[in-house]
Amino acid sequence: MKSRLKRGLGSLAMTVAIAFAAPVMAADGPTSQDILNDAQSTGDVLSYGLGPWAQRFSPMTQVNSDNVAGLVPVFASSLGGEKQRGQESQPLVYDGTIYVTGSYSRVFAFDSHTGEKKWEYDARLPDGIMPCCDVVNRGAAIHGDKIIFATLDAHLIALNRLTGKVIWNKTIADYQAGYSATAAPLIVNDKVIYGNSGGEFGIVGRVEARDVNTGELIWSRPTVEGNIGMLNGKPNGMTGTLNASWPGDMWKTGGGATWLGGTYDPGTNLIYIGTGNPGPWNSNMRPGDNLYTASTLAIDPDTGVIKWHYQTTPHDGWDFDGVNEFIPFDATIGGKPMKLGAKADRNGYFFVLDRTNGKFISANKFVMETTWANGYNPKTGRPNFIDEDRPGAPNGAEKGKTVFASPSFLGGKNWMPMAYSQATGLFYIPSNDWGMDIWNEPIAYKKGAAYLGAEFTIKPIAPDHIGVLRAMDPTTGKIVWEYKNKAPLWGGVLTTAGNLVFTGTPEGYLKAFDAKTGKELWKFQTGSGVVGSPITWEQDGEQYIAVMSGWGGAVPLWGGEVAKTFKDISQGGSLWVFKLPKH
Amino acid sequence: MIDRITRRALLGGALAAGCAGLLPAEVAAAPLAKVRQTGVLRVAVYGDNRPWSWDDHGAVRGIDADLGRALAAKLGVRADVVAFMPGDDLAADFRNTVWRGGLLGFQVCDVMLHVPFDHDLMLKNDQVAIIAPYYREGFAMVCGNEQSDCEVLPPQLHGRRLAAETASVSDAYLVGGFGGLLRSNVHHYQGGYEAAQAVADGNADAALATRAQVEAVLHDYPGKTLHRRKGPIPAMASPGWDIAMAVKDNSRTLGDALETIVAEMIASGQMAALFATHGVEWHAAIAG
Repeated sequence: MKSRLKRGLGSLAMTVAIAFAAPVMAADGPTSQDILNDAQSTGDVLSYGLGPWAQRFSPMTQVNSDNVAGLVPVFASSLGGEKQRGQESQPLVYDGTIYVTGSYSRVFAFDSHTGEKKWEYDARLPDGIMPCCDVVNRGAAIHGDKIIFATLDAHLIALNRLTGKVIWNKTIADYQAGYSATAAPLIVNDKVIYGNSGGEFGIVGRVEARDVNTGELIWSRPTVEGNIGMLNGKPNGMTGTLNASWPGDMWKTGGGATWLGGTYDPGTNLIYIGTGNPGPWNSNMRPGDNLYTASTLAIDPDTGVIKWHYQTTPHDGWDFDGVNEFIPFDATIGGKPMKLGAKADRNGYFFVLDRTNGKFISANKFVMETTWANGYNPKTGRPNFIDEDRPGAPNGAEKGKTVFASPSFLGGKNWMPMAYSQATGLFYIPSNDWGMDIWNEPIAYKKGAAYLGAEFTIKPIAPDHIGVLRAMDPTTGKIVWEYKNKAPLWGGVLTTAGNLVFTGTPEGYLKAFDAKTGKELWKFQTGSGVVGSPITWEQDGEQYIAVMSGWGGAVPLWGGEVAKTFKDISQGGSLWVFKLPKH
Repeated sequence: MIDRITRRALLGGALAAGCAGLLPAEVAAAPLAKVRQTGVLRVAVYGDNRPWSWDDHGAVRGIDADLGRALAAKLGVRADVVAFMPGDDLAADFRNTVWRGGLLGFQVCDVMLHVPFDHDLMLKNDQVAIIAPYYREGFAMVCGNEQSDCEVLPPQLHGRRLAAETASVSDAYLVGGFGGLLRSNVHHYQGGYEAAQAVADGNADAALATRAQVEAVLHDYPGKTLHRRKGPIPAMASPGWDIAMAVKDNSRTLGDALETIVAEMIASGQMAALFATHGVEWHAAIAG
């Protein structure tokens, strides 16, 4: 009720502002309604994914497949300092300002015309935190006067978007228990909704909503069955059914981290969020499906109640996280117009589900090979497991059976978001072809003591490439075109009605492709690897494109054969902005 | 023994390479001199690892914390005992505490304690030298409450409240062994000390943990009726392991000094006495 009143006042203030001077309107900042409309409003970028569906599709056509070859840089803004490493962020644009998060939990505001820095916020992080997988951040949210982002020590911080000063700062989880946060928050109906990330030491995934104005917790939903959710400080029902798919009390430490955040469909009023792998790694310890790990959950944004779930990898034994983004889209299948959603999973399959109820529509392979399953049963929506490809249980002191599995645990697709073009009806998936030897160890040393462990060795499976940008027809499951890249692809994708697809490469290029054919039309060397997600917007009548450059993320942590494709790439940290030259 | 000779030979080679070019000679050659010059031995211990090391209202306590202080005292310098957060594996811990430092400003330490003395670990982590094994770890079971007989065959524990640390070898033994008979009886705790503590607190009937964890709980709860299993734990996958220390690969002078100190502490009985103050019986490392 309180927030409604505030919104009422807000719109009143806006009316007054419009009556007197247009620029004052911007001081109020974007509303939840403006954010819902982000996919249509070309003059700004107000959300991670360019709209609540996160299709990363722009209706703009000024830059198109006929003229993209002429694209030139307007400016590059350095994040500066000694802090470089992976820049996985997607910028936001509003009111003449580009907001971007950087590595080490930093936020920058740059003038969108000149590239000059307006302000910078460096989160003060405890020096004792030891992030597992680089020090990345994937982006911020904007609402009203606030820029909101999550930090490596599991805080959620709201900054004044004009000054960079802290408005509120909330602890969302205990970093000393191994929790962290790197995803961009989602804004729905004046709530900020986010997930959590954590290492392998017995955490449980959660999705939570806070009041965007105060930062106070509204609801919290654990992702693993048996755990109890909360709404307004009171218990709000158990997730799933106790011991339905987990033995004993293993659900208390079952994993299922929600480290990549979610998407939102206003039509069904559902948020969709993926969950990580179950723990412990050795699947032989935890017979059962282990719900709701490695799943997509549909959650009511008002109450935090799970409305449906679909598990992409039941009883995961390969570290196939299910965190990947579920992107709503509408299409006609078998002559019937349907409300759908799609997810390209770590496990190498591209899923299409009915987004109103989670019903399985199809699952098609989008990588070179999936050794662990031979497709999905269309009746049950479950994988046809290849039992010989599950890593075996250790036998006494002997290690368990080693299997070669593809994709590797870094996934057919990892964190990097795909895009869907309403112009071509195709999904553009940043994927990787690689496999792994994986085995369970009876004894592995962690925390200075003996634990269970799984060991992996990642290997390329093709002589000429690891990364592949693939165009997938979601109605047929057929790959329409593919672009191969020597190094693993690790950046997000953007597509436009100008028949274009943009994505970056670790080799340092931002590239543009013909959306229908996959022909490479343009590339620009940014000076370091591109692992961020590109955006586009309109400013002063011209179409702009921007991307972060800065090599890092989880890939450089892995050695062996795979490392040969990227070991000489230098680090960086810059925002690059492009447009066509004025004639 | 063979492990150690190989290890030392590798260490010498790396040191020679370091002196020849890559590193400033004084840093590579004289880490012991550096410790003496600065007057501080910076010792990394695990946080939240009772009874070895844990944060007690800002003070780092435990066997490893005391050992770090003893090592510094023998070197005639001040001890800076730092508790750190464990990474996903030992390689991450070595990287963060011994040879690179944390990405967020955690400064490298001169020595890290509580490192398993393991051949594979040495081969895979050639940036560090694993030295001076100072204890032999093993497993122990403690019973109480509904289970006064701790000598039963493990399948006879079916139906009792069993406690173990999540994903530990003890957990795997109880959850995975005996055809999964005990799986649904196992309650998981964040540490083995806490699992054994659950028996003392009346929340579990039997716990499987490491020897040091169980002995520390028996020591810390003198008024409780707790029974420690005397017989062996049948079909346990791990025979136990030696616990040692790690120094940076080019720190041979410091490593030699620490090995000498540890040998002296063992010979004089000081090591056993240090363990005894925490209620833990010292056992000589097999490799030592």
